[in-house]
This record gives sequence, structure tokens and C-alpha cells, in this order.
Amino acid sequence: MKVRYLAAALLVAMLAVAASTASGGTSRKHATKLVIWLQNDAQNGWPEAVALANRNFKAQHPDVDVDVQYQTWGTHLTKFDAALAGGDAPDVIEMGNTEMTKYMAAGAFKTLTQGAFPNNKTWLQGLKGSCQFNGKLYGVPYYAGARAVIYRTDQYKAAGIKSTPKSLAQFMADGRKLMKKYGKDSGYSAVYFPGKYWYFGMSVVYDYGGQIAVRKGGKWKGALNSPRALVALNQVKALMKLSRASKTGDEANPQQALVFAKGKVGSFVGNGWEWPYALDEKLGNPALSSSMNAYPMPSHSKGKFMSTFLGGSDLAVPVTTKNQGLAADWIKAFTSTASESEIAKAGNIANTTKLLAFNASNPKLAPFAKAAKFSWFVPTSPNWANVENANVLQTMLVKIATGRASVKAAATSASNQITRILNTGA
Amino acid sequence: MASVAESGVIPASRRRRFSRRRFGQATAPYVLLAPAAAVIGVVLAYPLYLLVKMSFEKYGLFELIRHKGRWVGTDNYASIFQDAEFWRVVVRTFLFTVVCVSLTMILGTAIAMLLLQVSRWVRIALTTGLVLVWAVPVIVAVNIWRWMIDYQFGVANWALTKLHFGNFERHDWFANPWSGFGVFTLLIVWGAIPFVAITVYAGLAQVPHELLEAAAIDGAKPWAVFREVTLPLLKPILVILTSLSIIWDFQVFQQIWVMLDSRPTSDYYTMAIYAFHQSFQISEYGLGAAIAVVMVMFMFLATLVYLRQMLRTGEVH
Repeated sequence: MKVRYLAAALLVAMLAVAASTASGGTSRKHATKLVIWLQNDAQNGWPEAVALANRNFKAQHPDVDVDVQYQTWGTHLTKFDAALAGGDAPDVIEMGNTEMTKYMAAGAFKTLTQGAFPNNKTWLQGLKGSCQFNGKLYGVPYYAGARAVIYRTDQYKAAGIKSTPKSLAQFMADGRKLMKKYGKDSGYSAVYFPGKYWYFGMSVVYDYGGQIAVRKGGKWKGALNSPRALVALNQVKALMKLSRASKTGDEANPQQALVFAKGKVGSFVGNGWEWPYALDEKLGNPALSSSMNAYPMPSHSKGKFMSTFLGGSDLAVPVTTKNQGLAADWIKAFTSTASESEIAKAGNIANTTKLLAFNASNPKLAPFAKAAKFSWFVPTSPNWANVENANVLQTMLVKIATGRASVKAAATSASNQITRILNTGA
Repeated sequence: MASVAESGVIPASRRRRFSRRRFGQATAPYVLLAPAAAVIGVVLAYPLYLLVKMSFEKYGLFELIRHKGRWVGTDNYASIFQDAEFWRVVVRTFLFTVVCVSLTMILGTAIAMLLLQVSRWVRIALTTGLVLVWAVPVIVAVNIWRWMIDYQFGVANWALTKLHFGNFERHDWFANPWSGFGVFTLLIVWGAIPFVAITVYAGLAQVPHELLEAAAIDGAKPWAVFREVTLPLLKPILVILTSLSIIWDFQVFQQIWVMLDSRPTSDYYTMAIYAFHQSFQISEYGLGAAIAVVMVMFMFLATLVYLRQMLRTGEVH
């Protein structure tokens, strides 16, 4: 099959090259089409922001068609690679902030002029960092996300939980109370925690002072089998006992917010946009709106918050584009203050500190803004994306969740793999 | 014609026409084959050439963007042969293929034998069922199965619980790779049986009835009749079907890929998935190509048996 796939990919690539060279000569006179790849989060969470950007862009360039194509996180890089090989890549692409370095290092993006973009002096520092490589700018911050605990206030009350937990131990004790009250229903999870949900799993690791990998003398070394990380991973295993989510599933298949909307979940660790998503009229359950709230995940040391993964997205312009100017204009329209406000309203952290007050003043966004103050990030190696794509952390967590390997064995094997990938790429 | 040749006097015009026709007869098959050969050359030989070339190159993301690999000789092969994961994947793929092919052939042949015995209506119903299974596109089939064995809402877990096979509520079939591969084996065998059953049935219809009767009269038990008479006659068909099944099952990809949300953990890597993973997920296209080439070699061996049988069958006729 691989052969056929590669053969097909190569054939498609060849045809694409032929098609693009053919169209280069003839169709320039027609309306130019700008192809944008965004993740489907935008489609589900903030379609208004996309529509607004398109309207503003269209006003500026009436003869240019904008074609926004929605992608999924699991497959967009595969498609992007194939498109790069075929010279058929989009004009603008949304990249996860952990995916940027690999592509910047390989020269996949055009450099951008920072001064040209809205709010460029007040961009979130964490996101801006992920757009730079060797002192050059290759992306524009799009939005950031921090995760917090989204929970059912009515269930907490019924289980006798009077206030939100202030420590991880208390969080787990509350989880056990919820299980006692509702757990007879075999579909109920006090804390919905699917086995491959590594953003949450690794937050616990960082909370205990562990790390995914450390850099020593120019070399990376996987650190998940360090004593602190092992303590944390044992906690992860204990947390998973409060969950009846699939031990081999992840947080997006099915979407955890929609599982929550079905009513058999006491709490889950989710992004800001997942709150309104759970209340979606078609997919979720609007009736839950009066019995939902959120709080930052508490740390194992009392009174502190657990640091959260600073997730986020950037917008980049692939080197293959012939419409660099138009691509930059569309990015400008999409990251304007008006558009970013829409994105923030949907539960995200906007790309500029100017809008942080906007989040803090909204009770539905404040817990996430608070959580974002303490964050961790993945090792900044050009090879990091390969660790993600090799599912190293997911495989380790699944092994721990299912008990197929001891915590130590699973962590050691993952650590060795991380050492190898970060240093050699494969 | 012999008499004309013996007489030794063939009118010149007639001779020319004769030889021209002969020339035409000799070249016609090649002319007719040419378009197909050209298509195969474009869609198969050239990509295969590129694949082999790539397997000798360092071809990562950097090279991909520049459309130019860097020659590294046999480095890629050396690195996969030293990779313990690669050998685990190879062994897993072989085992999986052996199990799937054996089950497919045994069950397929058994169903074909059954088709001979049942009444016409049952035969029509059974054949229709088989054809329908055969007609379901792979991706659709995988999604149907995926729902049937869904962790939370699947009918399989519900039915097994109701039938008192134990508590299968929220049973995760993929938590354990053995049970996970059990599911994949079922899925693959289910999809492969119709072709085998229908083809073997067609073959069985060609077995002369008198032979079976004669054997029975001579006192052979049904099993002996099957082994001594039916099986040898079916052998060419069975060999071809087995080779084809090996080729199909060895390169299983979509079923596992789609069922596991395009993110299978390494316990579920088969050779096809491992090659895809190295290429498209790790962006080491050179390594991926090397694995693919090794895979092509294995398949070539399976095909060799198939080709030999084809040629032999051709000689008989």
C-alpha cells in the first residue's frame, strides 16, 4: 500500500506540477484565488472571525477569491508535505506553535515583515517566539489557548463539594466524591481523561518539576524517567482511575466537550473554546449553560495553579506561493483587532496583550486567562514535531492507562525514543 | 495448405499476402498491448524508479521543499536493518498475513463447498450476501465496523453483554494489541472471503461429477474424495487465490489507519504503516522509500509463485 501511496503521491505531484505550470500561463488574467488552510477549530468555534476577515479582505481586493479550506490537526502536515512536493501548497497555512520550528528550519516559509501586521508590538511573547528562527520572522501569531477544568456546578453541589479544589490532592478527593455519587452509572467519568490526552498528562509532569526532555551540552535527553516525572506519571495513572473515557482514545475523537454535553461527565480539562462548544445548539447541549463553570487546574502544591501547556497557532506563508502580498494582506485582515476580538470571544486568548483585559473581564474566559499565566512549552528542537508525529507521548500514556507496561518501563522507553528523535530527527 | 506447399508453386501475390498476414498476426498482440504498457510505464515503472532512487537518498523536509535529494548510498537500508522496531514490524506483518490468508482460504473454500450443497434459494441468498460484502468500499466498511465495536456506543459490546459473555460494557478492543489485531483479522477476512468463496465455487462447478461419483463408488469417504479428487483439480485456482491474498493482506493499511484515527500507536504498525509513518510523519522520505522497496521485494517473491502458476496454467491450454 505504501508503494501505491507513494506512487500515487508522486503521480499527483507530477500532475500538479504540470497543472500549475499549465495554468501559470493561461489563467493569470482570471480572478486570482487565495487558498487558506485553517484548522477546523475556526470552523466550529469562530466562523464569524473568518467571515469578517474575508469581508475586509474582499473590500480591499474585490477581484481575488478567497478559498478557506479546513484541515484537521492529525493530517494537515501530511497534506502540507505532499502539497510542498507538488508545488501546490496553500498561500496561507495555520501551524500549531509546536510545529513551526521544524518547518522554519527546513525553509518552508517566506520571511515576513513584522511592522506590517496589526498589533505587532503587543503580540503575546510566547507565540511570537514560536514564529522566529535565527532572528527572522516566519509567522504571525494567531491565537493562544490555555486549558482549565470545565465542570458541572450542579454535580459538584450534589456530591457535597462546596468550593473548587485548591490542590491536586483535593481535586482527586473531589473526583472520588463524584464517583461515589454518580459512578454507579458505568458510563460516568468524574474527570474525563482519554488515554492519549498528552497535553493534560504532561501538565502533571511539569507540575511535579519534571520535563519531557532536557538539553545538556548541545544534546537533548529524554527526561520522562526522571524521579520527579515518574512520581507525576503515577499521579496521572491515579487521575485516569477517575475517568471512564477510552484508554486508547484522545480528546478530539470524540470531541470531549461533546461527550461532556451528553451529561455523564463531571469535569474535563479543556480549552476556553470548548466551553461554548459544549453548549452548541446542534452538537452540544444548550441546557447546560446555567450549570457549567471553569477553574484553573490546581497544582500538587496547595494554593498554586498547575502550569498548562501554552497551545497556540500561527499563520505562515509557504515558500511556494505566488501571491505573497495578498497572503500577507489576508493575514492582516484575520489578525486585526476586530477579528481577534471575535476569536477571544469564542474562548481563546487573542494574539495581543491589548485584548487580555477583554478576557479577564469575561467570567467565561477569566479562568483560562488565569491559567495561562503559568505555562510550559515543548522542547524547542526542530525535531520536536517528529516526537508528536511519532505518537511517542500518546503511546506511553496508553501503556500506562491500560497497564500494559509499568509506569517506569513505559516512561523509559518513551524517553529513549525522545532522545533519539530530538538528536537525530528519526 | 500442405498440398500447396508440396507442389512448390505458390503464386507470388498470394505468398506476399500470406506473409503479411503472418506478420500482422505476430505483431498485433504487441500493438494491442502497447497502450497498456505505456500506461503501466507512466503510472508504475516511473514512480517505482523514483522510489528506488529516493531510497538511496537523504530526503527529508529540507530536500522535499527543494525537490532534490542527496545521494547517501545504502545508508537508509543499513539504518532500517539495524532498527529493532523495523524487525518487530516485519515479524508482526508476516504473522498477521499468515493468519489472515489461512483463515480467508479455509473459510472461503468451506463456504464454496457449502454453496454446492444447499438449495438454489439459499445459494442465491448467500451469493448475494457475499457480493454485497465484496461491493462495500473499504473505507465505508471500516467505518461500519468502527461503530459496531465502538467503545461506548458499539453494538458488539452491547450484544456480548446481553448474551452473558461477560461484562463488555465500555470494553476497549484496542487496549490490547492482540485483541486489536483480532478485530483487524476479522475485518480483513470478512472482506476477503467473498472473492475467494465465489471463485472457488466457480472452480468447483468445473469438477466433473463422474469423478466424484466414481471415487464414492470405490468407497472413498467424503473427506478423502475432497483431498484426493477435488483439491488436486482446484490446485491452480487455490494457488493463485493464495498468492493474491498474500499480496493484499501483506499491504494492509487503510483498515488500521482509519480505524485508529490516523494515529495508530506503534503496537499497530504494519510494514505499510511504518513506511508511511517514516515518510509522512517523520519526514524521512528516504527511509520510508527504503522500507517500501524492501516491502516490494517481499511482495515480488509472493508474486513469483503466482506468475509461475499462471504460466503453467497457460501451458496446459
